[in-house]
Amino acid sequence: MVLLGILRLMLIQRKLNATSRIVCQDFLSTMAVAKVRTVLVDLSGTLHVDAEEIPGSIDAVNRLSQSGVNLKFVTNTTKESKRCLLDRLTSIGFNVQPSQIFTSLTAARHLIERMEVRPFLMLDRRALEDFEGLDTTNPNAVVIGLAPEDFNYQTMNKAFRLIMDGAALVAIHKARYYKRTDGLALGPGPFVTALEYATDTKADVVGKPEKSFFLSAVEEFKCQPEECVMIGDDVRDDIGGAMATGMFGILVKTGKYRDGDENKIDPKPTYIADNFSGAVDYILQKL
Amino acid sequence: MTSGRKWTDGVEGVLLDITGVLYESGESEAIQGSIDAVKRLKDAGLPVRFCTNETTCTRQVLVDKLKRLGFTDMKPEEVFPPIPAMCQVLKERGLRPHLLIHPSALADFGDVATDNPNCVVVGDAIDEFSYANLNKTFQTLISLDKPILFSLGKGRYYKDGGNLVLDVGSFSRALEYACDVEAEIVGKPSAIFFNTAVKNMGLSADKVVMVGDDIVSDVGGALESGMRGVLVRTGKYRSKDENHPTVKPSAIVKNLAEAVDILIKSRKPWDGLAELA
Repeated sequence: MVLLGILRLMLIQRKLNATSRIVCQDFLSTMAVAKVRTVLVDLSGTLHVDAEEIPGSIDAVNRLSQSGVNLKFVTNTTKESKRCLLDRLTSIGFNVQPSQIFTSLTAARHLIERMEVRPFLMLDRRALEDFEGLDTTNPNAVVIGLAPEDFNYQTMNKAFRLIMDGAALVAIHKARYYKRTDGLALGPGPFVTALEYATDTKADVVGKPEKSFFLSAVEEFKCQPEECVMIGDDVRDDIGGAMATGMFGILVKTGKYRDGDENKIDPKPTYIADNFSGAVDYILQKL
Repeated sequence: MTSGRKWTDGVEGVLLDITGVLYESGESEAIQGSIDAVKRLKDAGLPVRFCTNETTCTRQVLVDKLKRLGFTDMKPEEVFPPIPAMCQVLKERGLRPHLLIHPSALADFGDVATDNPNCVVVGDAIDEFSYANLNKTFQTLISLDKPILFSLGKGRYYKDGGNLVLDVGSFSRALEYACDVEAEIVGKPSAIFFNTAVKNMGLSADKVVMVGDDIVSDVGGALESGMRGVLVRTGKYRSKDENHPTVKPSAIVKNLAEAVDILIKSRKPWDGLAELA
Protein backbone atom coordinates (compact mmCIF):
# COMPACT_ATOMS: atom_id res chain seq x y z
CA MET A 1 0.00 0.00 0.00
CA VAL A 2 2.78 2.41 0.95
CA LEU A 3 4.54 1.52 -2.28
CA LEU A 4 1.36 2.22 -4.27
CA GLY A 5 1.05 5.58 -2.58
CA ILE A 6 4.60 6.51 -3.48
CA LEU A 7 4.02 5.45 -7.06
CA ARG A 8 0.88 7.59 -7.27
CA LEU A 9 2.72 10.56 -5.82
CA MET A 10 5.50 10.11 -8.40
CA LEU A 11 2.93 10.06 -11.18
CA ILE A 12 1.25 13.25 -9.97
CA GLN A 13 4.61 14.95 -9.66
CA ARG A 14 5.51 13.94 -13.19
CA LYS A 15 2.30 15.43 -14.54
CA LEU A 16 2.93 18.63 -12.64
CA ASN A 17 6.48 18.82 -14.02
CA ALA A 18 5.22 18.30 -17.54
CA THR A 19 2.69 21.13 -17.21
CA SER A 20 5.16 23.55 -15.71
CA ARG A 21 7.62 22.72 -18.48
CA ILE A 22 5.11 23.69 -21.14
CA VAL A 23 4.29 26.95 -19.37
CA CYS A 24 8.00 27.60 -18.98
CA GLN A 25 8.71 27.15 -22.66
CA ASP A 26 5.98 29.61 -23.63
CA PHE A 27 7.43 32.01 -21.17
CA LEU A 28 10.96 31.53 -22.48
CA SER A 29 10.02 31.98 -26.09
CA THR A 30 9.83 35.72 -25.51
CA MET A 31 11.68 38.03 -23.19
CA ALA A 32 8.76 40.47 -23.10
CA VAL A 33 7.65 39.62 -19.59
CA ALA A 34 11.10 39.29 -18.14
CA LYS A 35 13.19 42.02 -16.65
CA VAL A 36 16.71 41.63 -18.02
CA ARG A 37 19.26 42.68 -15.43
CA THR A 38 22.44 41.05 -16.68
CA VAL A 39 23.90 40.55 -20.16
CA LEU A 40 26.71 38.07 -20.83
CA VAL A 41 28.67 38.56 -24.05
CA ASP A 42 31.04 36.20 -25.82
CA LEU A 43 34.21 37.77 -27.23
CA SER A 44 35.81 36.20 -30.30
CA GLY A 45 33.32 35.85 -33.17
CA THR A 46 30.74 38.01 -31.38
CA LEU A 47 32.47 41.36 -30.72
CA HIS A 48 35.53 40.90 -32.90
CA VAL A 49 37.38 38.52 -35.23
CA ASP A 50 41.08 38.58 -34.46
CA ALA A 51 41.99 42.30 -34.20
CA GLU A 52 38.94 43.56 -36.15
CA GLU A 53 35.75 44.90 -34.61
CA ILE A 54 32.56 43.30 -35.95
CA PRO A 55 30.95 46.52 -37.29
CA GLY A 56 28.74 48.34 -34.77
CA SER A 57 29.94 46.33 -31.75
CA ILE A 58 31.92 49.09 -29.99
CA ASP A 59 28.90 51.39 -30.13
CA ALA A 60 26.56 48.57 -29.07
CA VAL A 61 28.66 47.83 -25.97
CA ASN A 62 28.45 51.52 -25.04
CA ARG A 63 24.67 51.60 -25.53
CA LEU A 64 24.31 48.53 -23.32
CA SER A 65 26.53 50.03 -20.59
CA GLN A 66 24.50 53.26 -20.59
CA SER A 67 21.24 51.33 -20.21
CA GLY A 68 22.28 50.34 -16.70
CA VAL A 69 22.32 46.52 -17.07
CA ASN A 70 25.12 44.45 -15.57
CA LEU A 71 27.53 43.55 -18.32
CA LYS A 72 30.05 40.73 -18.39
CA PHE A 73 32.28 39.39 -21.13
CA VAL A 74 32.63 35.63 -20.94
CA THR A 75 34.96 33.36 -22.89
CA ASN A 76 36.56 29.94 -22.90
CA THR A 77 40.28 30.39 -22.84
CA THR A 78 43.02 28.30 -21.34
CA LYS A 79 46.05 30.35 -22.24
CA GLU A 80 45.06 34.00 -22.33
CA SER A 81 44.94 35.79 -18.99
CA LYS A 82 42.32 38.44 -18.26
CA ARG A 83 44.89 41.18 -18.79
CA CYS A 84 45.80 39.76 -22.18
CA LEU A 85 42.12 39.76 -23.27
CA LEU A 86 41.55 43.25 -21.86
CA ASP A 87 44.55 44.61 -23.79
CA ARG A 88 43.16 43.22 -27.03
CA LEU A 89 39.65 44.60 -26.47
CA THR A 90 41.00 48.02 -25.49
CA SER A 91 43.30 48.20 -28.50
CA ILE A 92 40.36 47.43 -30.81
CA GLY A 93 38.50 50.33 -29.18
CA PHE A 94 36.14 48.63 -26.71
CA ASN A 95 35.38 50.29 -23.41
CA VAL A 96 35.72 47.41 -20.94
CA GLN A 97 36.69 47.23 -17.25
CA PRO A 98 38.96 44.41 -15.95
CA SER A 99 36.23 43.27 -13.54
CA GLN A 100 33.85 42.75 -16.48
CA ILE A 101 35.91 39.91 -17.92
CA PHE A 102 35.08 36.36 -16.83
CA THR A 103 36.91 33.42 -18.40
CA SER A 104 37.11 29.68 -17.87
CA LEU A 105 40.34 30.42 -15.98
CA THR A 106 38.42 32.77 -13.65
CA ALA A 107 35.84 30.03 -13.16
CA ALA A 108 38.60 27.54 -12.31
CA ARG A 109 40.04 29.96 -9.75
CA HIS A 110 36.61 30.47 -8.19
CA LEU A 111 36.16 26.70 -7.92
CA ILE A 112 39.60 26.20 -6.37
CA GLU A 113 38.96 28.94 -3.82
CA ARG A 114 35.56 27.49 -2.96
CA MET A 115 37.03 23.98 -2.56
CA GLU A 116 39.89 25.43 -0.49
CA VAL A 117 42.48 23.27 -2.24
CA ARG A 118 46.08 23.80 -3.31
CA PRO A 119 46.34 23.28 -7.08
CA PHE A 120 48.99 21.63 -9.22
CA LEU A 121 48.62 23.83 -12.32
CA MET A 122 49.06 22.25 -15.75
CA LEU A 123 48.53 25.51 -17.64
CA ASP A 124 50.13 27.66 -20.27
CA ARG A 125 52.60 30.08 -18.66
CA ARG A 126 50.59 33.06 -19.93
CA ALA A 127 47.58 31.82 -17.97
CA LEU A 128 49.41 31.50 -14.65
CA GLU A 129 48.99 35.18 -13.72
CA ASP A 130 45.26 34.55 -13.26
CA PHE A 131 46.20 32.15 -10.44
CA GLU A 132 48.67 34.41 -8.64
CA GLY A 133 48.46 34.35 -4.87
CA LEU A 134 47.12 30.79 -4.58
CA ASP A 135 49.01 28.34 -2.38
CA THR A 136 50.45 25.67 -4.67
CA THR A 137 52.67 23.86 -2.18
CA ASN A 138 51.95 20.20 -1.42
CA PRO A 139 49.09 20.18 -3.97
CA ASN A 140 45.79 18.36 -3.44
CA ALA A 141 44.10 19.29 -6.72
CA VAL A 142 45.08 19.07 -10.39
CA VAL A 143 44.02 21.83 -12.81
CA ILE A 144 44.43 21.13 -16.52
CA GLY A 145 44.22 23.58 -19.39
CA LEU A 146 45.93 23.58 -22.75
CA ALA A 147 49.53 23.00 -21.69
CA PRO A 148 51.51 21.03 -24.29
CA GLU A 149 54.67 21.54 -22.23
CA ASP A 150 53.09 19.57 -19.37
CA PHE A 151 51.54 16.85 -21.48
CA ASN A 152 54.47 14.47 -21.12
CA TYR A 153 55.01 11.16 -19.32
CA GLN A 154 56.65 12.63 -16.19
CA THR A 155 54.14 15.42 -15.55
CA MET A 156 51.17 13.22 -16.43
CA ASN A 157 52.43 10.61 -13.93
CA LYS A 158 52.79 13.30 -11.27
CA ALA A 159 49.18 14.40 -11.84
CA PHE A 160 48.05 10.75 -11.91
CA ARG A 161 49.66 9.98 -8.53
CA LEU A 162 48.17 13.12 -6.95
CA ILE A 163 44.69 12.05 -8.09
CA MET A 164 45.29 8.49 -6.86
CA ASP A 165 46.14 10.07 -3.47
CA GLY A 166 42.78 11.85 -3.48
CA ALA A 167 43.41 15.13 -5.36
CA ALA A 168 40.46 16.61 -7.28
CA LEU A 169 40.71 16.89 -11.06
CA VAL A 170 39.60 20.22 -12.57
CA ALA A 171 39.53 20.73 -16.35
CA ILE A 172 39.36 24.20 -17.90
CA HIS A 173 37.59 22.49 -20.79
CA LYS A 174 37.69 19.14 -22.61
CA ALA A 175 38.31 20.15 -26.23
CA ARG A 176 39.56 17.23 -28.30
CA TYR A 177 41.92 19.22 -30.50
CA TYR A 178 42.60 22.68 -31.85
CA LYS A 179 43.99 24.20 -35.01
CA ARG A 180 47.59 25.30 -35.13
CA THR A 181 49.50 26.79 -38.05
CA ASP A 182 51.10 23.36 -38.60
CA GLY A 183 47.80 21.46 -38.50
CA LEU A 184 45.57 19.93 -35.83
CA ALA A 185 47.00 19.42 -32.35
CA LEU A 186 45.77 17.61 -29.24
CA GLY A 187 43.73 19.72 -26.84
CA PRO A 188 43.41 19.21 -23.07
CA GLY A 189 40.43 16.84 -23.42
CA PRO A 190 42.40 13.71 -24.35
CA PHE A 191 44.80 14.19 -21.43
CA VAL A 192 41.97 14.83 -18.98
CA THR A 193 40.29 11.67 -20.31
CA ALA A 194 43.51 9.66 -19.87
CA LEU A 195 43.67 10.68 -16.20
CA GLU A 196 39.95 10.00 -15.73
CA TYR A 197 40.43 6.48 -17.16
CA ALA A 198 43.58 5.75 -15.14
CA THR A 199 42.08 6.87 -11.84
CA ASP A 200 38.43 5.93 -12.46
CA THR A 201 37.26 9.48 -11.60
CA LYS A 202 35.39 12.29 -13.36
CA ALA A 203 36.87 15.73 -13.88
CA ASP A 204 35.06 18.92 -12.85
CA VAL A 205 34.83 20.87 -16.12
CA VAL A 206 34.57 24.62 -15.54
CA GLY A 207 34.26 26.33 -18.96
CA LYS A 208 31.25 26.93 -21.25
CA PRO A 209 28.80 25.18 -21.72
CA GLU A 210 28.78 24.03 -18.05
CA LYS A 211 25.97 25.47 -15.95
CA SER A 212 28.44 26.26 -13.18
CA PHE A 213 30.30 28.58 -15.58
CA PHE A 214 27.28 30.75 -16.30
CA LEU A 215 26.12 30.79 -12.69
CA SER A 216 29.58 31.68 -11.46
CA ALA A 217 29.81 34.54 -14.02
CA VAL A 218 26.65 36.25 -12.67
CA GLU A 219 27.15 35.34 -9.01
CA GLU A 220 28.20 38.87 -7.91
CA PHE A 221 25.02 40.43 -9.36
CA LYS A 222 22.75 38.32 -7.15
CA CYS A 223 20.23 37.88 -9.96
CA GLN A 224 18.30 34.84 -11.10
CA PRO A 225 19.19 32.98 -14.34
CA GLU A 226 15.87 34.12 -15.87
CA GLU A 227 17.05 37.71 -15.48
CA CYS A 228 20.15 37.05 -17.65
CA VAL A 229 20.80 36.97 -21.39
CA MET A 230 23.78 35.37 -23.12
CA ILE A 231 24.86 36.65 -26.55
CA GLY A 232 27.24 34.50 -28.61
CA ASP A 233 28.11 32.88 -31.95
CA ASP A 234 28.47 29.29 -30.67
CA VAL A 235 25.03 27.70 -30.62
CA ARG A 236 26.01 24.87 -28.25
CA ASP A 237 28.64 26.33 -25.93
CA ASP A 238 27.14 29.84 -25.65
CA ILE A 239 23.42 29.55 -26.30
CA GLY A 240 22.67 25.91 -25.43
CA GLY A 241 24.73 26.15 -22.23
CA ALA A 242 23.13 29.43 -21.07
CA MET A 243 19.60 28.26 -21.87
CA ALA A 244 20.15 24.97 -20.02
CA THR A 245 21.05 27.14 -17.02
CA GLY A 246 17.72 28.98 -17.33
CA MET A 247 19.01 32.11 -19.10
CA PHE A 248 17.87 33.61 -22.39
CA GLY A 249 20.15 33.02 -25.37
CA ILE A 250 20.66 35.25 -28.41
CA LEU A 251 22.58 33.71 -31.29
CA VAL A 252 24.49 36.07 -33.58
CA LYS A 253 25.15 35.23 -37.22
CA THR A 254 28.84 36.18 -37.09
CA GLY A 255 32.08 34.38 -36.19
CA LYS A 256 31.71 30.61 -36.30
CA TYR A 257 27.93 30.77 -37.03
CA ARG A 258 26.88 28.51 -39.92
CA ASP A 259 23.49 28.38 -41.65
CA GLY A 260 21.05 26.26 -39.67
CA ASP A 261 23.02 26.35 -36.41
CA GLU A 262 19.88 27.62 -34.63
CA ASN A 263 18.21 24.24 -35.28
CA LYS A 264 20.95 22.30 -33.51
CA ILE A 265 19.60 22.96 -30.02
CA ASP A 266 16.28 22.34 -28.35
CA PRO A 267 14.78 24.63 -27.17
CA LYS A 268 15.80 26.99 -29.99
CA PRO A 269 17.64 30.26 -29.25
CA THR A 270 15.40 32.96 -27.74
CA TYR A 271 16.31 35.26 -30.64
CA ILE A 272 18.61 35.19 -33.66
CA ALA A 273 20.34 38.48 -34.54
CA ASP A 274 22.38 39.41 -37.60
CA ASN A 275 25.16 40.62 -35.33
CA PHE A 276 25.92 41.88 -31.82
CA SER A 277 24.48 45.30 -32.56
CA GLY A 278 21.21 43.70 -33.62
CA ALA A 279 21.16 41.63 -30.41
CA VAL A 280 21.58 44.78 -28.31
CA ASP A 281 18.74 46.52 -30.24
CA TYR A 282 16.48 43.59 -29.38
CA ILE A 283 17.40 43.66 -25.68
CA LEU A 284 16.99 47.44 -25.37
CA GLN A 285 13.57 47.26 -27.04
CA LYS A 286 12.43 44.62 -24.54
CA LEU A 287 13.79 46.35 -21.44
CA MET B 1 32.22 -24.36 -12.61
CA THR B 2 28.82 -25.99 -12.46
CA SER B 3 27.44 -28.85 -10.32
CA GLY B 4 30.45 -30.33 -8.61
CA ARG B 5 32.77 -30.15 -11.58
CA LYS B 6 36.26 -29.25 -10.42
CA TRP B 7 38.34 -26.57 -12.15
CA THR B 8 40.97 -29.21 -12.87
CA ASP B 9 38.62 -31.64 -14.69
CA GLY B 10 39.65 -32.20 -18.30
CA VAL B 11 42.48 -29.64 -18.24
CA GLU B 12 45.01 -30.53 -20.94
CA GLY B 13 47.01 -27.32 -21.20
CA VAL B 14 48.05 -24.32 -19.11
CA LEU B 15 48.49 -20.61 -19.87
CA LEU B 16 50.57 -18.61 -17.43
CA ASP B 17 50.89 -14.88 -16.91
CA ILE B 18 54.51 -13.84 -16.35
CA THR B 19 54.84 -10.74 -14.14
CA GLY B 20 53.28 -11.38 -10.74
CA VAL B 21 53.04 -15.17 -11.34
CA LEU B 22 56.60 -16.22 -12.21
CA TYR B 23 58.33 -13.23 -10.58
CA GLU B 24 57.39 -9.99 -8.79
CA SER B 25 57.76 -6.76 -10.75
CA GLY B 26 61.06 -5.09 -9.91
CA GLU B 27 62.40 -8.13 -8.01
CA SER B 28 65.40 -10.15 -9.14
CA GLU B 29 64.16 -13.51 -7.85
CA ALA B 30 61.42 -15.86 -8.96
CA ILE B 31 58.32 -16.25 -6.77
CA GLN B 32 58.90 -19.17 -4.40
CA GLY B 33 58.09 -22.54 -5.98
CA SER B 34 57.28 -21.14 -9.41
CA ILE B 35 60.42 -22.43 -11.19
CA ASP B 36 59.71 -25.94 -9.94
CA ALA B 37 55.98 -25.56 -10.73
CA VAL B 38 56.62 -24.84 -14.42
CA LYS B 39 58.98 -27.82 -14.57
CA ARG B 40 56.42 -30.15 -12.96
CA LEU B 41 53.75 -29.12 -15.47
CA LYS B 42 56.05 -29.96 -18.37
CA ASP B 43 57.16 -33.24 -16.76
CA ALA B 44 53.51 -34.23 -16.42
CA GLY B 45 53.12 -33.83 -20.18
CA LEU B 46 50.97 -30.69 -19.92
CA PRO B 47 51.78 -28.09 -22.59
CA VAL B 48 52.48 -24.63 -21.12
CA ARG B 49 52.39 -21.22 -22.81
CA PHE B 50 53.10 -17.80 -21.34
CA CYS B 51 50.72 -14.90 -22.03
CA THR B 52 51.99 -11.42 -21.21
CA ASN B 53 51.15 -7.82 -22.08
CA GLU B 54 54.84 -6.89 -21.91
CA THR B 55 55.68 -4.47 -24.77
CA THR B 56 58.69 -2.63 -23.39
CA CYS B 57 61.26 -5.16 -24.61
CA THR B 58 61.63 -7.80 -27.33
CA ARG B 59 60.50 -11.37 -26.77
CA GLN B 60 64.13 -12.53 -26.73
CA VAL B 61 65.09 -10.05 -24.00
CA LEU B 62 62.13 -11.21 -21.93
CA VAL B 63 63.06 -14.89 -22.37
CA ASP B 64 66.69 -14.16 -21.43
CA LYS B 65 65.51 -12.41 -18.28
CA LEU B 66 63.34 -15.40 -17.31
CA LYS B 67 66.27 -17.75 -17.90
CA ARG B 68 68.44 -15.64 -15.61
CA LEU B 69 65.70 -15.86 -12.95
CA GLY B 70 65.97 -19.70 -13.15
CA PHE B 71 63.37 -20.69 -15.75
CA THR B 72 66.18 -22.31 -17.68
CA ASP B 73 64.32 -24.23 -20.38
CA MET B 74 62.11 -21.29 -21.43
CA LYS B 75 61.78 -21.08 -25.23
CA PRO B 76 60.83 -17.91 -27.16
CA GLU B 77 58.08 -19.78 -29.06
CA GLU B 78 56.32 -20.56 -25.76
CA VAL B 79 56.03 -16.86 -24.89
CA PHE B 80 53.12 -14.82 -26.28
CA PRO B 81 53.53 -11.07 -25.95
CA PRO B 82 51.24 -8.72 -27.95
CA ILE B 83 53.72 -7.60 -30.60
CA PRO B 84 54.06 -10.89 -32.57
CA ALA B 85 50.25 -11.22 -32.50
CA MET B 86 49.99 -7.60 -33.67
CA CYS B 87 52.37 -8.28 -36.58
CA GLN B 88 50.18 -11.22 -37.59
CA VAL B 89 47.05 -9.01 -37.59
CA LEU B 90 48.81 -6.31 -39.62
CA LYS B 91 49.91 -8.90 -42.17
CA GLU B 92 46.47 -10.51 -42.45
CA ARG B 93 44.74 -7.16 -42.94
CA GLY B 94 47.42 -5.59 -45.14
CA LEU B 95 47.94 -2.68 -42.72
CA ARG B 96 50.96 -0.42 -42.41
CA PRO B 97 51.21 1.00 -38.89
CA HIS B 98 52.35 4.27 -37.43
CA LEU B 99 54.07 2.96 -34.30
CA LEU B 100 54.02 4.61 -30.89
CA ILE B 101 55.99 2.03 -28.93
CA HIS B 102 59.12 1.84 -26.81
CA PRO B 103 62.34 1.76 -28.88
CA SER B 104 63.48 -1.39 -27.01
CA ALA B 105 60.57 -3.34 -28.52
CA LEU B 106 60.95 -2.00 -32.05
CA ALA B 107 63.01 -4.96 -33.26
CA ASP B 108 60.02 -7.31 -32.86
CA PHE B 109 58.18 -5.40 -35.59
CA GLY B 110 60.97 -6.59 -37.90
CA ASP B 111 60.12 -6.09 -41.54
CA VAL B 112 56.63 -4.62 -41.05
CA ALA B 113 56.23 -1.76 -43.54
CA THR B 114 55.57 1.57 -41.81
CA ASP B 115 55.67 3.94 -44.78
CA ASN B 116 52.47 5.77 -45.70
CA PRO B 117 50.66 4.38 -42.62
CA ASN B 118 46.97 3.40 -42.63
CA CYS B 119 46.60 2.51 -38.93
CA VAL B 120 48.11 3.32 -35.54
CA VAL B 121 49.62 0.90 -33.01
CA VAL B 122 50.20 2.05 -29.41
CA GLY B 123 52.23 0.07 -26.87
CA ASP B 124 53.66 1.01 -23.48
CA ALA B 125 56.04 3.68 -24.78
CA ILE B 126 57.00 4.89 -21.26
CA ASP B 127 58.83 8.23 -21.60
CA GLU B 128 58.28 8.19 -25.33
CA PHE B 129 54.73 9.32 -24.43
CA SER B 130 55.70 12.94 -25.12
CA TYR B 131 53.33 15.60 -26.45
CA ALA B 132 55.23 15.64 -29.75
CA ASN B 133 54.97 11.85 -30.19
CA LEU B 134 51.33 11.67 -29.10
CA ASN B 135 50.49 14.58 -31.40
CA LYS B 136 52.18 12.99 -34.38
CA THR B 137 50.27 9.78 -33.68
CA PHE B 138 47.02 11.75 -33.35
CA GLN B 139 47.62 13.61 -36.63
CA THR B 140 48.22 10.33 -38.44
CA LEU B 141 45.09 8.77 -36.94
CA ILE B 142 42.74 11.69 -37.60
CA SER B 143 43.94 12.07 -41.19
CA LEU B 144 42.84 8.50 -42.05
CA ASP B 145 39.55 8.04 -43.92
CA LYS B 146 38.72 5.25 -41.51
CA PRO B 147 40.85 5.65 -38.38
CA ILE B 148 42.08 2.29 -37.04
CA LEU B 149 43.69 2.29 -33.60
CA PHE B 150 45.31 -0.76 -32.00
CA SER B 151 46.21 -0.78 -28.31
CA LEU B 152 48.66 -3.42 -27.07
CA GLY B 153 46.74 -4.21 -23.88
CA LYS B 154 44.42 -1.80 -22.05
CA GLY B 155 46.02 -1.51 -18.60
CA ARG B 156 45.37 1.68 -16.63
CA TYR B 157 48.57 1.75 -14.57
CA TYR B 158 51.17 -0.47 -12.98
CA LYS B 159 53.84 -0.32 -10.32
CA ASP B 160 57.37 0.44 -11.44
CA GLY B 161 60.20 0.62 -8.95
CA GLY B 162 57.75 1.37 -6.12
CA ASN B 163 55.88 4.12 -8.02
CA LEU B 164 52.56 3.90 -9.81
CA VAL B 165 52.90 4.89 -13.47
CA LEU B 166 50.40 5.27 -16.30
CA ASP B 167 50.03 2.26 -18.59
CA VAL B 168 49.31 2.08 -22.32
CA GLY B 169 45.52 1.93 -21.80
CA SER B 170 45.41 5.47 -20.44
CA PHE B 171 47.22 6.89 -23.45
CA SER B 172 45.23 4.91 -25.99
CA ARG B 173 42.11 6.19 -24.18
CA ALA B 174 43.39 9.75 -24.88
CA LEU B 175 43.68 8.95 -28.60
CA GLU B 176 40.25 7.27 -28.60
CA TYR B 177 38.71 10.44 -27.17
CA ALA B 178 40.64 12.77 -29.50
CA CYS B 179 39.57 10.92 -32.66
CA ASP B 180 36.24 9.55 -31.41
CA VAL B 181 37.23 5.95 -32.22
CA GLU B 182 37.37 2.73 -30.23
CA ALA B 183 40.72 0.96 -30.03
CA GLU B 184 41.04 -2.69 -30.96
CA ILE B 185 42.88 -4.47 -28.16
CA VAL B 186 45.69 -6.84 -29.07
CA GLY B 187 46.88 -8.48 -25.87
CA LYS B 188 45.07 -9.59 -22.74
CA PRO B 189 42.07 -9.59 -22.14
CA SER B 190 41.24 -10.02 -25.85
CA ALA B 191 39.87 -13.49 -26.68
CA ILE B 192 41.61 -13.42 -30.07
CA PHE B 193 44.91 -12.93 -28.29
CA PHE B 194 44.34 -15.77 -25.80
CA ASN B 195 43.21 -18.08 -28.58
CA THR B 196 46.47 -17.67 -30.49
CA ALA B 197 48.27 -19.29 -27.55
CA VAL B 198 45.52 -21.88 -27.03
CA LYS B 199 45.62 -22.94 -30.69
CA ASN B 200 49.40 -23.11 -30.55
CA MET B 201 49.02 -25.94 -28.01
CA GLY B 202 46.65 -27.74 -30.39
CA LEU B 203 43.81 -27.44 -27.87
CA SER B 204 40.41 -25.83 -27.58
CA ALA B 205 39.75 -23.16 -24.93
CA ASP B 206 37.56 -25.43 -22.76
CA LYS B 207 40.56 -27.69 -22.08
CA VAL B 208 42.86 -24.90 -20.93
CA VAL B 209 43.33 -23.06 -17.64
CA MET B 210 44.84 -19.57 -17.38
CA VAL B 211 46.68 -18.64 -14.19
CA GLY B 212 47.22 -14.96 -13.48
CA ASP B 213 47.36 -12.18 -10.87
CA ASP B 214 45.10 -9.68 -12.69
CA ILE B 215 41.45 -10.35 -11.87
CA VAL B 216 40.13 -8.51 -14.94
CA SER B 217 42.76 -8.92 -17.62
CA ASP B 218 43.93 -12.49 -16.82
CA VAL B 219 41.02 -14.20 -15.07
CA GLY B 220 38.14 -12.24 -16.59
CA GLY B 221 39.66 -12.43 -20.06
CA ALA B 222 40.26 -16.19 -19.74
CA LEU B 223 36.67 -16.87 -18.62
CA GLU B 224 35.31 -14.72 -21.47
CA SER B 225 37.44 -16.72 -23.88
CA GLY B 226 35.97 -20.05 -22.70
CA MET B 227 38.88 -21.12 -20.50
CA ARG B 228 39.02 -21.61 -16.76
CA GLY B 229 40.65 -18.73 -14.91
CA VAL B 230 42.63 -19.17 -11.69
CA LEU B 231 43.67 -16.19 -9.57
CA VAL B 232 46.94 -16.28 -7.61
CA ARG B 233 47.47 -14.27 -4.43
CA THR B 234 50.79 -12.90 -5.69
CA GLY B 235 51.80 -9.95 -7.88
CA LYS B 236 49.23 -7.16 -8.15
CA TYR B 237 46.57 -9.29 -6.35
CA ARG B 238 44.57 -7.36 -3.71
CA SER B 239 42.12 -9.01 -1.28
CA LYS B 240 39.23 -7.00 -2.77
CA ASP B 241 39.80 -8.89 -6.06
CA GLU B 242 38.12 -11.90 -4.43
CA ASN B 243 34.83 -9.98 -4.32
CA HIS B 244 34.99 -8.59 -7.83
CA PRO B 245 31.47 -7.58 -8.95
CA THR B 246 31.54 -9.46 -12.26
CA VAL B 247 34.57 -11.76 -12.45
CA LYS B 248 34.28 -15.01 -10.44
CA PRO B 249 37.52 -17.02 -10.70
CA SER B 250 37.36 -20.80 -11.19
CA ALA B 251 39.70 -20.98 -8.19
CA ILE B 252 41.80 -18.72 -6.00
CA VAL B 253 45.16 -20.11 -4.86
CA LYS B 254 48.13 -18.98 -2.81
CA ASN B 255 50.54 -18.97 -5.72
CA LEU B 256 51.45 -20.83 -8.91
CA ALA B 257 53.02 -23.71 -6.93
CA GLU B 258 49.70 -24.39 -5.18
CA ALA B 259 47.75 -24.27 -8.47
CA VAL B 260 50.14 -26.83 -9.96
CA ASP B 261 49.96 -29.06 -6.83
CA ILE B 262 46.17 -29.24 -7.12
CA LEU B 263 46.22 -29.74 -10.89
CA ILE B 264 48.80 -32.54 -10.86
CA LYS B 265 47.18 -34.37 -7.91
CA SER B 266 43.88 -34.37 -9.78
CA ARG B 267 45.37 -36.03 -12.86
CA LYS B 268 44.24 -39.62 -13.59
CA PRO B 269 46.87 -42.18 -14.59
CA TRP B 270 45.53 -42.22 -18.14
CA ASP B 271 45.52 -38.41 -18.60
CA GLY B 272 47.97 -37.45 -21.31
CA LEU B 273 48.00 -40.94 -22.87
CA ALA B 274 46.56 -39.59 -26.09
CA GLU B 275 49.66 -37.47 -26.54
CA LEU B 276 51.92 -40.48 -26.15
CA ALA B 277 49.97 -42.65 -28.54
